[in-house]
Amino acid sequence: MAPKSSSHGKDKLIGAEDDVLQAVVLADSFNKRFKPLTTRKPRCLLPVCNAPLLDWTFESLALAGVREIFVMCRSHAEQVKAAIAESRWGKPGSGLKIIPIMTAKETYSPGDAMRDVYTRGLVTSDFVLVMGDLVSNIRIDEVVRVHKERRKSNKDAIMTMVVKESGVKHRTRSKGDTSVFVLDTETSECLHYEPVTGYPPTKKAHIPREIFVDHAEVEIRNDLIDCSIDICSVEVPSLFQDNFDYLDLRRDFVHGVLTSDLLMKNIYCYIAKEGYAARVKDTRSYDSVSKDILSRWAFPLVPDDNHPGGHLYEHTRGNKYIAKGSTVTLARTSTVGNNTLMGCRTQILEDVQIKSSVIGRDCIIGAGSIIADSYIFDGTSIGPECVVEQSIIGEGVIIKHNSRIVRGCLLGDEVIVGPGAVLQPFERLSKKRDPEEVDENEEEEDSDLEEIEASQSSISAQLGKDSNAIVWPRNASDDEVEDDVENHTNQRFMRLGDEPSDLEDDSSTSSDGEGGSSSDEDEDFKMSLEPSLALDMSAINLPSSDSIAESEFRAEVTQSLERAFSEGHSIDNAAVELKTLRMASNVPLSRVREAVIAAIVERIRIVDGGGAAQRTEISNVIQRWGGLIDRIGGVDAVETISILQTHCSTSERMPLFGQILAALYQADIVEEEDLGKWHSSPSAGGVGLPPGTQTDNIRKCWNIGALLIQQIGQQDSGEDSEEVDEDEDGEN
Amino acid sequence: MTSDVADQRIVESLALRLRRRQVVGSRAAALETLLVIRQVVAKARFSNFEQLVDIIRSVGRRLVEAQPKEHSVGNTVRKVLHHIREEYQTATKGTTRSRPESFSIAKFVLQGQPRKHIIVTKAEKKGTLKEDDPNDPDSFARGLKPVLMEAIQDIFDELETVYDNVSKNAKDHVHSDEIILTLGASRTVETFLKTAAHYRKYTVIVAETAPTYGGRDLAASLSSAGISTFLVPDSSIFALMSRVNKVILGAHAILANGGMFATSGAQIAATAARAHSTPVVVCAGQFKVTPLWNLYHEYGALDFCDPSKVLGFEEGDLVDKVDVVNPFYDYVCPELVDAYITNDGDHPPSSIYRLLKETYDDEDTVL
Repeated sequence: MAPKSSSHGKDKLIGAEDDVLQAVVLADSFNKRFKPLTTRKPRCLLPVCNAPLLDWTFESLALAGVREIFVMCRSHAEQVKAAIAESRWGKPGSGLKIIPIMTAKETYSPGDAMRDVYTRGLVTSDFVLVMGDLVSNIRIDEVVRVHKERRKSNKDAIMTMVVKESGVKHRTRSKGDTSVFVLDTETSECLHYEPVTGYPPTKKAHIPREIFVDHAEVEIRNDLIDCSIDICSVEVPSLFQDNFDYLDLRRDFVHGVLTSDLLMKNIYCYIAKEGYAARVKDTRSYDSVSKDILSRWAFPLVPDDNHPGGHLYEHTRGNKYIAKGSTVTLARTSTVGNNTLMGCRTQILEDVQIKSSVIGRDCIIGAGSIIADSYIFDGTSIGPECVVEQSIIGEGVIIKHNSRIVRGCLLGDEVIVGPGAVLQPFERLSKKRDPEEVDENEEEEDSDLEEIEASQSSISAQLGKDSNAIVWPRNASDDEVEDDVENHTNQRFMRLGDEPSDLEDDSSTSSDGEGGSSSDEDEDFKMSLEPSLALDMSAINLPSSDSIAESEFRAEVTQSLERAFSEGHSIDNAAVELKTLRMASNVPLSRVREAVIAAIVERIRIVDGGGAAQRTEISNVIQRWGGLIDRIGGVDAVETISILQTHCSTSERMPLFGQILAALYQADIVEEEDLGKWHSSPSAGGVGLPPGTQTDNIRKCWNIGALLIQQIGQQDSGEDSEEVDEDEDGEN
Repeated sequence: MTSDVADQRIVESLALRLRRRQVVGSRAAALETLLVIRQVVAKARFSNFEQLVDIIRSVGRRLVEAQPKEHSVGNTVRKVLHHIREEYQTATKGTTRSRPESFSIAKFVLQGQPRKHIIVTKAEKKGTLKEDDPNDPDSFARGLKPVLMEAIQDIFDELETVYDNVSKNAKDHVHSDEIILTLGASRTVETFLKTAAHYRKYTVIVAETAPTYGGRDLAASLSSAGISTFLVPDSSIFALMSRVNKVILGAHAILANGGMFATSGAQIAATAARAHSTPVVVCAGQFKVTPLWNLYHEYGALDFCDPSKVLGFEEGDLVDKVDVVNPFYDYVCPELVDAYITNDGDHPPSSIYRLLKETYDDEDTVL
């Protein structure tokens, strides 16, 4: 696409005046939260208020002025493609160009899909990235305008995330999978992102302290709904390509970009004050989004006005929506409560009670049944005297008389249960497969099904004698790797009808362990807070480390520093080079510090006769290069002193230790406080080391340090520390 | 048949914009509809009159289906149909109008459909217009189109000048030193009051009209035009009503029974006015007169927007527990309205049916 627009000057001209807004829809969920409803069709084709989820997404995008949409489909891609071709979007005059893209079966994450977007070269300018389960009426084009405006002044602003303000306890805000955003109040730049899970409960957010240094005012917010609407620049797919380990858009990409010292890219947030946006991420949000649509939060995206499925509904008092054209049969004695939607040709027989539910087309609800807070897809028939509460019933399901289906049950398509079936809460049922069907289907889901079929025993007793259903195991502890969000307990926060209050109660006991095990991303911050005592030891052992990578790294660093010294690079450039090296060979920060300090110390020429000439030499070197110690990523003065001490103890520049330390102090690289901390730590005094010259030297250094501290303490403030050096010289 | 596809595209695009509420307001919708119909008629190929009517009807049906709540769309289509039938009559039949010039109760039943028997006796035609000519199927269209375009242009002009025409008698309705109460942001009312201000010195009280707060805009506009204006909260409408001489409201649609849909708040104002026997006058273009009735909703009517203006979305805890309704329009029943001022003269609610019969043809009530 790109070469075409550049080769035809005319095309380009037209494109310039009529900027076509492109969108990429990731139409796969990359998780299994809706199983077994999604065994036979993709999640994005599940009906929400009787229209496929994907149509809601398209309508949301069309409302926002998007003109061209790429749909990345993976599972059941053929179905998605067919659905798009059939829907009204495929017809002329829809004003939308929708291009389904089949990605490889090996696309296991949004990150993979983004890499596919890159390799195919789909997008040519800033684009909107959404998931295929979005319902929104936010004016995205306005966000795009803001984004483009910002790009003019700041080329590094690669992405704008749209977030919606809600309360902490909003029904549409999934407790299991939320996030903490740290924003700059003025520019609404996203400075830090941290995912929050319901279980294990996240109690702490770790915020790098540089943020507070660099920004006058920040907002730390945990009341935002992340709508997963991102305005991305063309660089974003290529960043995914470069960083092949990015899987999730938020936890990996946003977090990665924000914490990277190398990329230097910015991500911004757009807090939508008006409008509605939410994702159907799980069964719980399926429920809340459906309710939001029925209670008209998504206006003008409501069933009676702009129903994406093209159905016509009559809106009557109390947000009841009944299909137009009097095809719905409502028995005189039936009661229909608020927030209810009924598809056409549905029959509601005598004494039925319905409330807060969505009923598909061609459904039959038998006499005396009670339907509450449930979602019933097309063509389902429910026998007399049944109770269905807080459940999702698939297409063409038959529930025979006197059945009870309550609290969070999911029934897959064409399941038959009853008569007299009583389902446990959160039961998941799907239809047994016909033997001949097995060969045809080569979907990966089959492996799941087979396992479950194998595990079926006598449990079908409670499903009623006519049932064709199999029960899915309760604990979906699969063989797959369960990351933080997908663990079973956390899933309970995302389950329809579940109230995980038990989890919230016991959270206090487990919170201690949580703090420690949180994650490794806050390493920087933690290290800088607590002087790590073990560090010196490891530093001592380091030179003897025979790891090849490490010795290579050391060699590289030495070379790089030598180059910097001899060619007189600026500190910034040298720092970037070191960072790159550190990334490349994946070594901890302390190694880099060690190498830098060693190189600087070795840089100092030993002037014969010492005295003032030596001091000038030291201060020259420290003035010129001392800053580098703090620029390699993270400031830790105590560690700096320890490393200096260790280095000097083995080096011929041992006698210079005191002077170097003093010079560092003068250059404000170490503070008096740091000196104190270093001095009081046992390893600095050489405690526990085997006796030898090195230990002796360490002890000596420690003593020199003590003197220096004393000296500094004596000069109350601002006096220069010439005398200190003098004294130390004498000592040495 | 490329023209058909193109027509389709125009119609579909307007239908989509209507669905998505990208065209809002009765007059805007009416104008857009008229533009689409004009284009469709200009390109349409038909060899007899029924075909033409069918084409326009199908377009109308599509647009009305897309947005049944914007009544002016259907009204415009009905009006176009009415006008082209009239043009067709005169073009084919000359002046043989059997329309009774005098109204009498005896002929009452026939009033609405005076042309039924004319269509039956359309055998003799002028030589220039020949329907279903096998030699030249387009000749009929060619002959009729200029007249049709003229008819559509008439409706267009009417819409363009509707505010001024509604306001032309403003000085007869507003008198010096009167206190007028109004609400909402109606362009018609705004023009009406501003025109009246040329002749009279009077005071306007504008209610804020929560939750849309259209009243604030209206008040700002009136005040900048030099009219002495008070902006009051909706809650004080009743308390102030005893001082008010007249309530002037705008309408979204005037219904066949003489009631109307108007910005929410109109019902309160009209009821309060009734309690104080204050006259309620409604200013509206004639294109808002609709041959439909209010169904389904008793007070809050027709269109309900998102509740966020009543209860913020960020009140997360409450959203789940409270059902919030935010009606955009009120239904004001005919008993509460004293007069409608239209560009077609002033009418009491009881004679709206008459206006309907004159403006539209009965067969078009259901498109």
